[in-house]
Amino acid sequence: MKLRTKMLKPFRKVPVLNAANVLLVENEEQLQSRLADIIVQNEKDVNITVRLARKLPLPVENQDSRPRIDLVVFIVNLMSERSVQSAEQSVRYLDSGFFLGKVCFLVTGARCLSVSSTRLLTVRKMAASLHCPLLFAEDQTSEGVIAAAVRLLGILKVAAGLVPFATGLSLNSLTHCMMPSDLEQQLDSPT
Amino acid sequence: MDVRSAVSTPVTQYTHRRSKSYGRNFDATSRFGYTPGQLTITRIQTSRETAKARKLTEKVDPEQLALLVKKEWKLSYVTPLYKFRHTQLKIYSRHLSAFIMAEKQQGMAVEVGLEAGFKVTFSTVLGMAETKDDAETVFIQIHNKPVFASEGDAPKVVWSGWLTCINGDPEYLQALPPEFVSLPLFCSSGAESLTFMVKSWFERTFDCSFGSMGLDPTDLHWLAALWTGCHSDNNIRSLKLAWTLPSQPPLDVSLTVNAQDAWDLWDKVRQQDSTDNSISIEEVKRFITGIESHFFRHFKVYLSAGVLKKVSTALGSVHLDGKIKITCSDYMITVLTLLTECAILRTPILPGLF
Repeated sequence: MKLRTKMLKPFRKVPVLNAANVLLVENEEQLQSRLADIIVQNEKDVNITVRLARKLPLPVENQDSRPRIDLVVFIVNLMSERSVQSAEQSVRYLDSGFFLGKVCFLVTGARCLSVSSTRLLTVRKMAASLHCPLLFAEDQTSEGVIAAAVRLLGILKVAAGLVPFATGLSLNSLTHCMMPSDLEQQLDSPT
Repeated sequence: MDVRSAVSTPVTQYTHRRSKSYGRNFDATSRFGYTPGQLTITRIQTSRETAKARKLTEKVDPEQLALLVKKEWKLSYVTPLYKFRHTQLKIYSRHLSAFIMAEKQQGMAVEVGLEAGFKVTFSTVLGMAETKDDAETVFIQIHNKPVFASEGDAPKVVWSGWLTCINGDPEYLQALPPEFVSLPLFCSSGAESLTFMVKSWFERTFDCSFGSMGLDPTDLHWLAALWTGCHSDNNIRSLKLAWTLPSQPPLDVSLTVNAQDAWDLWDKVRQQDSTDNSISIEEVKRFITGIESHFFRHFKVYLSAGVLKKVSTALGSVHLDGKIKITCSDYMITVLTLLTECAILRTPILPGLF
């Protein structure tokens, strides 16, 4: 089936010693390159590779040369509905094995709630249903981008198995997004 | 109104839950809703009633109604008013005109200006309240008596505004303490300085607080869908939508959809879920997505990456900054119901605390 070959599978490839690879998926391609620079600069001991994509599925041509992806980060800009829609469509191309601690959502623009409050709830619902952590980032200032990069680096090292006594799944069970129950009731459309 | 959500989240339950949620970050942040920096009620409206034409002229005095339509109003939310009596409107008129005169003369030497006198009239617009919990609409007008006017000159209206509550959430209204009257929607039209003075007078006299009300793109989508749905009864002539796209330089897109085409699209969307009296948010989303994907097919531009700023039809127009114009009084109740709800949702639970 065509869909199967396009899906990204987490355990297809063998991990490399002392290395971690993260895939940043962002429709607008604004924050990913800045995050990539800081992530790579901040870590000297481990071999970090940051791969950038606009959306999934990833091109089939690169499938063999691509290393094993330890963490997939979906960057969503809440100021644009298109960004949310693109993330929702891309999530479908991830194999279910990824959702055991190898996926994370990073949301920007949550401060301006007048435009983005319903979108934030949609993204929260998606993250909660997929059991993934939801991080908020401030992308307008350099300190904010550095802070977001440092957090992602922390999650990446756990997901890649570089932190002793911590696994991606255990971290995920502590940090995954939850929806307050009354909001969950409201978002389910009445039958 | 979605009955289930109204029952499961009454206001009294909120004040209880707030004290529990301070320790748990994710609970508190979900309550910071529409008004930036303030704690508000978060509620997603999932279904509404279809707009039905109601000849308001039967219930409301046509002259008063004529003052409300065909004018662009700037919206604000108001917290409940303490000891506001509909019977004391004449006293309020006198106080407000004295207040405005005092404010105008503050700091100025005695000056014979062109604005010698302001006359304020408060009046009740009877017949607009829908439920027994709604307070009657109050209409305020400020007339200006120029000094050198001759006898026959009628005083000119320089400012008008009204406070209203149409189909307000019954749980919220019944939970208010008895001395409070809730008229959460405030519409004003006229000089900004006069608006500011009227608001300060209200804040001082009734211990309330005003805040400017911006709208959500979702509210604009609702109004676009509701107005298009009225096309079969009342010709909307065209559906005009205006977006702003965040490109460099910012791109303003204005799309005019032929009324019949919009109606056909809306009809097809409605056929899939056919509950006659209510519209669900899914149908509204499908309607807007239909228009956006039609635009993408022709121009290869994703309108969903931009912000919908303005929706206008022959029945009225609404702007994201919180401006509304109702041209046809038949659907006024539906539009005001939506706006009252927005005002209640944007009213902070603890104004001035943050």
